[in-house]
Amino acid sequence: MAKLLAYSLVSVVPPPFKTEYIVGIAEEDGERMPVRIDRSHLKNLKIGISGTIKTRETDQGEIKYFTPEEVKVEGGKVALVTGAARGIGRAIAIELANRGYDMALNDIETSADGEETIKEIQCLGRRVLFTVADVSSYSDVQKMVEMVVEKFGRIDVLVNNAGINIDRLVTNMSPLEWQKVIDVNLTGVFNCTKAVLPHMIAAGGGRIINMSSQGALDGPVGQANYAAAKGGVISFTKVIAREYAQYNILCNAVAPGCIRTRMTDSIPPGQLRERVSKIPLGRRGEPGEVAKLVAFLAEDGTYITGQLILINAGEYI
Amino acid sequence: MGEVGIVSFGHTKYGILKDEISDLIGSVVEECLSRVEKGIEPKEIGLVITSCADDQFSNQHQTGALALRYLKNMDAEAFRVEAACSSGSLAVYLARKMLNAGYVDNVLVVGFEKMSRLSTEAATSVLIRGGSPEENRIGITQPAAYAMMAQIYMEKYGATEDDYAKVSVKNHNNALRNPWAQFHKKISVEDVKSSRLIASPIRLFHCSPISDGAAALLLSRRPRDYTDTPVYIKGMALANDALGVFERDDPTSVAATRKAAAKAFKEANIEVKDIDFAEVHDAFTPVELMIYEDLGFARKGEGYRLIRDGTVEFDGALPVNVSGGLKGKGHPIGATGVGMMVEIFLQLRGEADQRQLPDVEIGLAENHGGTGATSVVTILGR
Repeated sequence: MAKLLAYSLVSVVPPPFKTEYIVGIAEEDGERMPVRIDRSHLKNLKIGISGTIKTRETDQGEIKYFTPEEVKVEGGKVALVTGAARGIGRAIAIELANRGYDMALNDIETSADGEETIKEIQCLGRRVLFTVADVSSYSDVQKMVEMVVEKFGRIDVLVNNAGINIDRLVTNMSPLEWQKVIDVNLTGVFNCTKAVLPHMIAAGGGRIINMSSQGALDGPVGQANYAAAKGGVISFTKVIAREYAQYNILCNAVAPGCIRTRMTDSIPPGQLRERVSKIPLGRRGEPGEVAKLVAFLAEDGTYITGQLILINAGEYI
Repeated sequence: MGEVGIVSFGHTKYGILKDEISDLIGSVVEECLSRVEKGIEPKEIGLVITSCADDQFSNQHQTGALALRYLKNMDAEAFRVEAACSSGSLAVYLARKMLNAGYVDNVLVVGFEKMSRLSTEAATSVLIRGGSPEENRIGITQPAAYAMMAQIYMEKYGATEDDYAKVSVKNHNNALRNPWAQFHKKISVEDVKSSRLIASPIRLFHCSPISDGAAALLLSRRPRDYTDTPVYIKGMALANDALGVFERDDPTSVAATRKAAAKAFKEANIEVKDIDFAEVHDAFTPVELMIYEDLGFARKGEGYRLIRDGTVEFDGALPVNVSGGLKGKGHPIGATGVGMMVEIFLQLRGEADQRQLPDVEIGLAENHGGTGATSVVTILGR
């Protein structure tokens, strides 16, 4: 067993390093050595703690890593999904709960759909917190994030899913209708990300997944406000990826195509048939299929950040 | 053979300067020559030793020969030395050895650095070379190495973050009286403790800055030929230790300084109580407390008491870093050790203006490289 003699979180890092990291001095069998320590252990570090030393191959050659003895963490992983009462948001919440996350759900109001989502997650044996908040209001979002952190102590994954659409040709679109969609779909992403980032930084990392849309790319007629907001989400995602990579926070955007939700249900049947006929796989996608991609990014995508991932069965290539 | 004495100096302001490396070298060489009270001919200076820590800062090789251009004596010999942050003192150390050996009669030492050429990140990657290869490879930066020393010291001896912050506050206060200092800004303990984290628990206001600057000294084996009030090197020693903090027996001590101090005191034939003031290497202010112990100003584990009880303040019984130290005055690496001795030269001659200490006869300079793999301790007197 090795012992940790000292450690330091290095915030100003020299090239070739890019991200904050922890260094330390450890002692094993009377021999002292400089070590690295994974950022995720920061909260558990103390002078004198025991742990194990393993050598890893890295771009800088072989480096010794100190891993503290397992410390029991209260509760499991926590995800916050906005707009989670129904549709893609609900599917994401259930998928993540299935994978062991305690879930913080958000929507603009309580609803029967929301109740159903809560029950389903409880049935999976996960803890749930439902918070009513308008993501376009920063004060609402701040309160929401405080409640989540108070209940669960952490936020590992943020899925910025809440979104609305008010479809009109620009000539018929009022400035208010433009602004409302921008406020929820773009400013909402900023608000939630800003409120959650400090907690992820303190915890040593996290994942942010922003729901964009195929509409950001293919110029959907009647959706200037929606497309502009979803395009903004892509650009925002890239900036967050660069700004917070140093804190081990990975941020990606997902652009679903034609998914079976209330939004595509409201397309007149003839138009919907025509659209589906142009999709190479010949069908709408299921919310659960999008949820699996989001869960992959949350769980497994350890080398993916700043990316836009399209999920559209080849409708837009 | 008489004692080697310092007879003149040159010194630029420390800070982020517009001057190029040749301007810095040229100005201190010319100033140093012009200040020689009884005059000196360039041909009387047989050797020039320059010091800078890294060419990536200076962007210039053969700076010894460059200095000869300003000395206007191409028949003198010249070369550069390096020992990380202790480069400047090493140059003086070597100059004294050459003088004692009778190789030449007068040596000009020129220390300089032009650190602002590089970004903070790039400078950090240059400075990391002061540590061991193993530390370097995994990214133990200089602040991170000092951070771990500071952390262990707190754990072991009960020093607090307030003690470390008070060293920064003291040295900034002292820098207010020094027109050469990089910072003329009063700071509080709270300012230090709320400043940006660099490598926990080291924060921005514990760190000496990135600085440009130069300092020169003229040393002579016949000092009274050039001034009636030389400052003599009474004792001076060089000592070394392992490069890596992890390799040291005691990470809360700079053993090289401890060894060098013992040798220097012995040579000067004086005791710690005879020291009136000191300039020490506060590259990261927590280490100043450990240096008090290594120099014998305090017992092991009790260095922090000197900052708590005011002993080392400007008006205390043993003022330390009245120039502002590396923290307040600045740390153009190759110039630092030379600049420390310029400060002591001025204090001992009563020429330190508003920061002049009363009745000082013996001053000590401690200048170490990296986290203490090389250390030079110098005792100067009238």
